[in-house]
Amino acid sequence: MSDLRYERPGTVAEATGLLAAGGARILAGGTDLVIALRGGLPCDVLVDIKHIPELGRIVWTPDGGLEIGACVLVQDLAEEPRVREVFPALAEGAEAIGSLQIRYRATVAGNLSNASPCMDTAPPLLVLDGRLRIAGPKGTREAPLADFFLGVRQTALAADELITAVVLPPPPPGLACGFDKIKRTQGHDLALVNSAAAWDPRAGTLRVAIGSCAVRPVLTPALEGVKPGADPAATGERLAQRALEHIRPIDDVRGSAEYRREMSAALCRRLARRLLGAGRAS
Amino acid sequence: MSARTITLTVNGETSTLEVPVGMTLHQLLSEGLHHHEVKSGCYIGECGLCTIRLNGRPVNSCLVFAVEADGAVIETSTVETPAPGQLSDLQQAFVDFGAIQCGFCTPGMLVSARALLARKAKPTRAEIVEALAGNYCRCTGYEPIVNAVEAVANGTYRPKPAPAKPYVGGEANRLDGAAKVTGAATFVHDMFLPGMLHGRLLVSPHAKARIKRIDVSKAKAMPGVRAVLTGEDVPYELGLYMEDKDILARGIVHHQGEAVAAVAAETWLQAKLATLAIEVEYEPLDPVLDVHEALADGAPQVHPDLGTYSWMKGVFFPQPGHNVAHHQKIRKGDTAKGMAEADRVFEFRFTNPPVQHVPMETHTAIVTARPDGEVEIITSAQSPFTVRHLFCHTFGLPLHQVRVRIPYVGGGFGGKAGIHLEPLVYCLSRAAGGRPVKLAATREEEFNTLPSRQGLESVIRTGVTKDGRITALEATYLWDAGAFADYGVNVGRAAAYSGAGPYVIPHCKVDSKVVYTNKIHGTAYRGFGHLEVLWGIERNMDLVARGLGMDPVEFRRRNLLRVGETTITGEPFTAGHGRPEECLRLVSEAIGWDAKQDVPQPPAAPGSGRRRAKAVAMLHKAPAMPTYTSCSASLLFNGDGSVNLLVSGVDYGQGTYTALAQIAADELRIPLEKVRVPWDSDTDFTPYDWQTVASRFTVMGGNAVIQAAKECLDQIRAVAGEAFGVAADAIECGDGQVWVKGKPEKKLDYARFVLGYSFPDGHSIGGPVIGRGRYIAHGLTNLDPETGQGLPALNWTYGAHGIEIEVDTDTGHIQVLKLVSAFDAGKVINLQQCRMQVIGGVVQGLGSAIMEKFVFDRGRLVNNTFTDYKVPTAKDVPLEMRQLFVETPHPQGPYGARGVAEHPMISIPGAVGNALANATGVEFFELPLDPETVFLGLKRAAKERA
Repeated sequence: MSDLRYERPGTVAEATGLLAAGGARILAGGTDLVIALRGGLPCDVLVDIKHIPELGRIVWTPDGGLEIGACVLVQDLAEEPRVREVFPALAEGAEAIGSLQIRYRATVAGNLSNASPCMDTAPPLLVLDGRLRIAGPKGTREAPLADFFLGVRQTALAADELITAVVLPPPPPGLACGFDKIKRTQGHDLALVNSAAAWDPRAGTLRVAIGSCAVRPVLTPALEGVKPGADPAATGERLAQRALEHIRPIDDVRGSAEYRREMSAALCRRLARRLLGAGRAS
Repeated sequence: MSARTITLTVNGETSTLEVPVGMTLHQLLSEGLHHHEVKSGCYIGECGLCTIRLNGRPVNSCLVFAVEADGAVIETSTVETPAPGQLSDLQQAFVDFGAIQCGFCTPGMLVSARALLARKAKPTRAEIVEALAGNYCRCTGYEPIVNAVEAVANGTYRPKPAPAKPYVGGEANRLDGAAKVTGAATFVHDMFLPGMLHGRLLVSPHAKARIKRIDVSKAKAMPGVRAVLTGEDVPYELGLYMEDKDILARGIVHHQGEAVAAVAAETWLQAKLATLAIEVEYEPLDPVLDVHEALADGAPQVHPDLGTYSWMKGVFFPQPGHNVAHHQKIRKGDTAKGMAEADRVFEFRFTNPPVQHVPMETHTAIVTARPDGEVEIITSAQSPFTVRHLFCHTFGLPLHQVRVRIPYVGGGFGGKAGIHLEPLVYCLSRAAGGRPVKLAATREEEFNTLPSRQGLESVIRTGVTKDGRITALEATYLWDAGAFADYGVNVGRAAAYSGAGPYVIPHCKVDSKVVYTNKIHGTAYRGFGHLEVLWGIERNMDLVARGLGMDPVEFRRRNLLRVGETTITGEPFTAGHGRPEECLRLVSEAIGWDAKQDVPQPPAAPGSGRRRAKAVAMLHKAPAMPTYTSCSASLLFNGDGSVNLLVSGVDYGQGTYTALAQIAADELRIPLEKVRVPWDSDTDFTPYDWQTVASRFTVMGGNAVIQAAKECLDQIRAVAGEAFGVAADAIECGDGQVWVKGKPEKKLDYARFVLGYSFPDGHSIGGPVIGRGRYIAHGLTNLDPETGQGLPALNWTYGAHGIEIEVDTDTGHIQVLKLVSAFDAGKVINLQQCRMQVIGGVVQGLGSAIMEKFVFDRGRLVNNTFTDYKVPTAKDVPLEMRQLFVETPHPQGPYGARGVAEHPMISIPGAVGNALANATGVEFFELPLDPETVFLGLKRAAKERA
């Protein structure tokens, strides 16, 4: 790290220019990057994107969609009243990350770029049909988050690309969504399993995404025909079965595959109860 | 090196400086700008010790590059202090609520608390907990901190009144409170000496291997490197009870994480890079990783030369050729006969994993090998004299040529007893031409290279009559000592003589074997051996009681030690031992134990919702120490009638200095604020003490202080008598003054006498008043090698916990709703400090009960960071805790006091396990009772029932 350089671009174009030169790492919150660099991650230049004004904004589009700038802090997102109201799963996922000290540095885009299987913002964004706006040397593209994760710490982001925003489409009327997490303690801990579910009562679809149970978060195909009045317990059971068909958990230091499977099912039941039960989740 | 110029404002002071790009904000603040109040503890953003406010928001400064802070406004805990000698409301509340023990987490905690108060005028308790949960604390159990912040936040806080006389039995604030909330307290971790080098370790990746080749030539040639050492350079053995440890591995490495080489260089980074340039060729060998494997015939020997080592003869009994470092036997009566008398015999097996102490300040030492042959050691340790003794023994140095100084210590819990890094750092300094060398263990090394608590497997067989009398108990304790058993042998010994619990056992047989394996070595950990064996014993009491269809509280009551009975080593139980039955009564009552209702619930299927239940567990412990353990204290009067109390016990948060100062003030009859206890203990200046371990210091040091105070008063009376023209015994002392008995109208201040008295004509008598006090454990005997009979204990402390839990069978998660603890403390010297010890110990015990464990993969520790070794946070504590004290005076204790510092941690696992069994109808035998263990246990039990 002795020849490490530091750049502080003021525009997205400047940032992608620096990335295109090679050997660069994007520095947003740094909560993963600083540790990785200390562990020997190669890096010639830190590109600190926190001073690009548009990346720091939370924007609601006129149609009710949400654009979360790449440098929006997860704590700010979690505290945003309209996010808590419209996309509670996302607020809860953001709030589940680390300690307060971490949430005051970490960004949603950084959480996603790190692509650890246990990231807490991925399951909510997946069930909410999140998309990424990505700037590169050839301009800006938008891609579904579902296609972004390739494996453990592997993403579809090219070395010269930068996530500028996470974009959520306007929620369908009556959308209910929630997030929940199983960890070893009540204090800050990485997820043994995390999960988000979203129910569109008009379409009758209920989807769940599960983290920490495969090399990348798993978004399962939606359950169909989940109409208002559906039995929460029976639906939870169906959702759990759906999840268990798609996850591939392993044994590791944090827990066994068996416990992860059980907890994936438990989270599905719990989320179904919450979303279909006594109305909207808080 | 690439650098940038930045401008930042720290605590209101703006400066422009050039910083290397890779430097963290933590490094800049603590090393570059000397903000030593900014601590560090993990460097991965988990522990919160390095918390600062960056533009108003609390962040971990270890995860921010200094260059990112260009233009930023930064605040550390220093902004809390309004002016020298004054405290903010928040600081004073921390002191008043007992929210401080070792003080290492305090600055970061204050920053988090202030950041919350700044953004939220009236936070809820839940919001306070959330705001503080990112800051680890290992001492306080968090509750007092949350209480302090809550009181300030909701405006109910009023400063505590000054302590009143008599101080003993009162609630005086800790003496070091202001030093710790202002950041004035200096830890070794914070210290830099002129010319100081930085040491780093290279550790073994293998559990067992032969070092075929080790080449340090590249490392030696690297920039800034001043010394590189390997095992062959330092041919010394270390140990207190058992000299079985190399300073650096020689020939064979004994566990993954053992240090094989060390470097001293101009900077920390240079030292680290040099360790990476050391080439080591290992031939991996088959390790022994389990106690049964190790005890099997023909097992590879962890120490093939065990028979040639030195150990404390007559006390420990290693078995060369069998991987056994010590076998402690207890034989009382005839267990065959006792089992024959029983109506029922029960046998159960329990396990405890190895765990770590997790002091917030890692082991750190600065050593200077002076050119004149003298040695100066500044170390984060628990005893200056034991470090000196073992150090000099290892290097063949005379005691008086070595000075060991211990400043404020950021937590120890037994892990800093004995000797650890000091000899290696000395060798580095010597090799580097005598420049001071500092070696601070990284958190990974703290887990992997410094010692842990031993794992244990217990098999307990109990004979009982139908009406619930224990007739016999046989216990086998197999300790997974790891690669070295220096302290482990004494853990195995102490746990054996406590190994049947506080009960009457007419016929008892205990075999406690300390077994070497190729894992991280164990050492003392708060209440050593007792949390481990009492996990089994207290679960066993409930299991046996339920097996008999009996109430477990009543079963305990019938079998508790009582006057006229003897312990399992043949020690008569007297009235002076205290009242375990009263502790049991208090906690049972406080949790509302009802024998009819509090019975095991029908077995719970996993996923069947939440269940609640109550339980109790008992505990006992006595100091585990050599029979000749001694201690001393000096009282040196100052000319204004104030006094310096010098001791070499170390107060690393327990509050023992405050207790001793209270005793000194009462005995000397002076105001408490006139007693100063200098914080550094220093072999050059403070008088001898054996070790600060075993909850012994307030008891032994207290006795020494009483004696020293008496000497002072005798000296004052002698001079005053002469001055007044009366006999010394006609002089009365009180309120810092002397007068002639019956003539209180003429009083003179101590100040007139304590440096000598001058008559009006100039003629002078007396001289500086210096009191000496000492105390040695008396009446103790070594245990008989074959029967374990003898008197091992200076004082037993008995206690009990009552608990109520809620378990979520959907996830296996346990929430403690209420935890009530009672101890027969003999005499509570300081109620606040006692309560704080209990709260902190209970929460630490809860860590052992529900979350903490080492996870190994073929001998490699896979959770050697805070990412995967979890400790309780402010969110993990019981919802309600109460602390009760019984005061049955101990005949040898100062004011009748007994030690109570370690005890709160003991039997927390048993209490949780018993409540879990009552809640779910399923029995658990393994620790920790983490969510996965509980959930899968319920699942397996349901399967077996089906």
